[in-house]
Amino acid sequence: MEKGCKFGTHRVIEPKGTLPQPALKVDNTMSIYDNELLIDVTTLNIDSASFTQIKKACKGDIEQMEEMILSIVDERGKMQNPVTGSGGMLIGTVREIGPNFPDKSLKIGDKIATLVSLSLTPLKIGRIKNINFDNDQVDVEAQAILFESGIYAVLPNDIPEKLALAVLDVAGAPAQTERLVKKGDTVCIIGGGGKSGVLCSYQAMKNAGPEGKVIVVEYSKENAQRISDLNLATHVIVADATNVMEVYHKVMEITNNEGCDVTINNVNVPSTEMTSILITKDDGLVYFFSMATSFSKAALGAEGVGKDINLIVGNGYAKGHAELSLNIIRESDTIKELFSKLYV
Amino acid sequence: MKKGNKYGTHRVIEPKGVLPQPANKLDNNMDEIYDNEILIDVKTLNIDSASFTQIEEQAGGDEKKIAEIMLDIVARQGKHRNPVTGSGGMLLGVVEKIGDALVGKTDLKVGDKIATLVSLSLTPLRIDRIKEIRKEIDQVDIDGKAILFESGIYAKIPADMPETLALSALDVAGAPAQTAKLVKPGDTVLIIGAGGKSGMLCCYEAKKRAGVTGKVIGLCHSEKSTKRLQDLGFCDYVFSADATQPVPVLEKIEELTNGEMCDVTINNVNITDTEMTSILCTKDTGVVYFFSMATSFTKAALGAEGVGSDVTMIVGNGYTRGHAEITLELLRESEKLRKVFTELYA
Repeated sequence: MEKGCKFGTHRVIEPKGTLPQPALKVDNTMSIYDNELLIDVTTLNIDSASFTQIKKACKGDIEQMEEMILSIVDERGKMQNPVTGSGGMLIGTVREIGPNFPDKSLKIGDKIATLVSLSLTPLKIGRIKNINFDNDQVDVEAQAILFESGIYAVLPNDIPEKLALAVLDVAGAPAQTERLVKKGDTVCIIGGGGKSGVLCSYQAMKNAGPEGKVIVVEYSKENAQRISDLNLATHVIVADATNVMEVYHKVMEITNNEGCDVTINNVNVPSTEMTSILITKDDGLVYFFSMATSFSKAALGAEGVGKDINLIVGNGYAKGHAELSLNIIRESDTIKELFSKLYV
Repeated sequence: MKKGNKYGTHRVIEPKGVLPQPANKLDNNMDEIYDNEILIDVKTLNIDSASFTQIEEQAGGDEKKIAEIMLDIVARQGKHRNPVTGSGGMLLGVVEKIGDALVGKTDLKVGDKIATLVSLSLTPLRIDRIKEIRKEIDQVDIDGKAILFESGIYAKIPADMPETLALSALDVAGAPAQTAKLVKPGDTVLIIGAGGKSGMLCCYEAKKRAGVTGKVIGLCHSEKSTKRLQDLGFCDYVFSADATQPVPVLEKIEELTNGEMCDVTINNVNITDTEMTSILCTKDTGVVYFFSMATSFTKAALGAEGVGSDVTMIVGNGYTRGHAEITLELLRESEKLRKVFTELYA
């Protein structure tokens, strides 16, 4: 068996010297290197931006969509949408484990979800069985390769598959919250009513404890009401997070002009960097989970108002993140019920 | 005098409700100032390196065209925020007028020579004439005026060094000051873009903090900057490579660190696509500090997840308390640093 690179560069066909994600074409030969995992794929969970683009390009015609998906994978060796650049994730069972694959507890036949993007995962599709318009899922007969550095979660027996997937999709957010929030902290979750926001709020309440404050800023009245009803925050502000001064004044009122120790930004709209910066104390920390964050707006924004704070780029991966987020579902019946209703 | 807002929102023309930095247009009328503003008679603009590189490229290196592009930016926005890179820079000038509300509160006097340390991307600016463009150091001498808001930070130009020397170091003051906070004794540190202005300051500070048990590795691009950094002697290793190529750089760092990788990586380069290189060269428990304004947020965020790295990635904050003093002190401390800065930037 040939020796592979940890990051899968041995599979890059062109351009040479790049990693699998930016590569135009990867080798999808389904015989494994010594540090790889071979997966029998049952379902592709296409990234929502990618699925929408394919659906539009094919005017919703299932046969054309099948053709388009097959031709992307045929050309690139992976399911990376050439327009959006994005991928998604997959579900399957472990078929073969390379002798140098690091996790020795994994067994052949385990059902797993990959948590790295399809945009870098070698894939070969035999047949498309079904395309589901409701949840962007595509059932397939296919095989895929997971690299040594690739992350995945074994799907648990005690949580329905779809519920587990919905949670695993945003697993990084509550895991980072768990690390950042200390007892007695004042925390603000911007965009606290959405999927990752709810998990962050739950975790922040748990870590901050009774002496702490958890403030949720939420745009939708309905989501805000839900947060109050479920007791996932000590204060809820209904506001547009791009409206810097309005949010700033409301947070200052709640915190007696002190601001927050930790601010976690989960909203998927641009131009909320300054709001996050202004409501955070000097020496405090802002965690940007939103993919709509602009690097230069954050960097220059803090300097522009002379604020000595830590600005962190949200990392979707943290050790133990899958376990931690699934445990929230096991711990909290309210969140389990809510997520089952909304996302399953 | 009219009352102004601490953060300068009174100067925002559009869109309403935002702060001066994200605004598309600021009021740069300098005939009358607000009560908490400082009016500056501007001598020199120090354009942010990513911004200057972009403008120079767009102009094909032609000075007349560079001047046209700059005048056009300020005419449209009332400030010098590069529409492509989003970045600004800083300026040097003399205090001309101080708002009533700041009298007695500020340590500044009319006639003081200061450098503003907030970005030009939020500073109301009027350019009357461009006098000289110094391409090699990204500086532009002008006749013009600017406004400093109440929350704006600045440094008085010290008497013991030439102003262009002080300015070139103050421009990147955040970088060595943050390096001082991040690097601990015994750390292995990688500086990407180590041969540039902020890179050299970071290398010096990193070695000071990491000490004899630590290791500082400098990655440069050109042969010239590699040689220069080697001669300075701040780093344990200096090598030349293309930082946009993750695999060869990764292999080199593996070799230099016996496969252990770096505790802290500081990225100072002003080109795109160096996020993956920074992430891969850093330990899974380490820190990447992105000072480069060419950093893409999504490339960094998705990149780390894609390779399953649990690294902490920090957005470079150009401000940290005492950063001006720390940085000027480095030029006083190190003869070598002062000499090379004088040769290159002053």
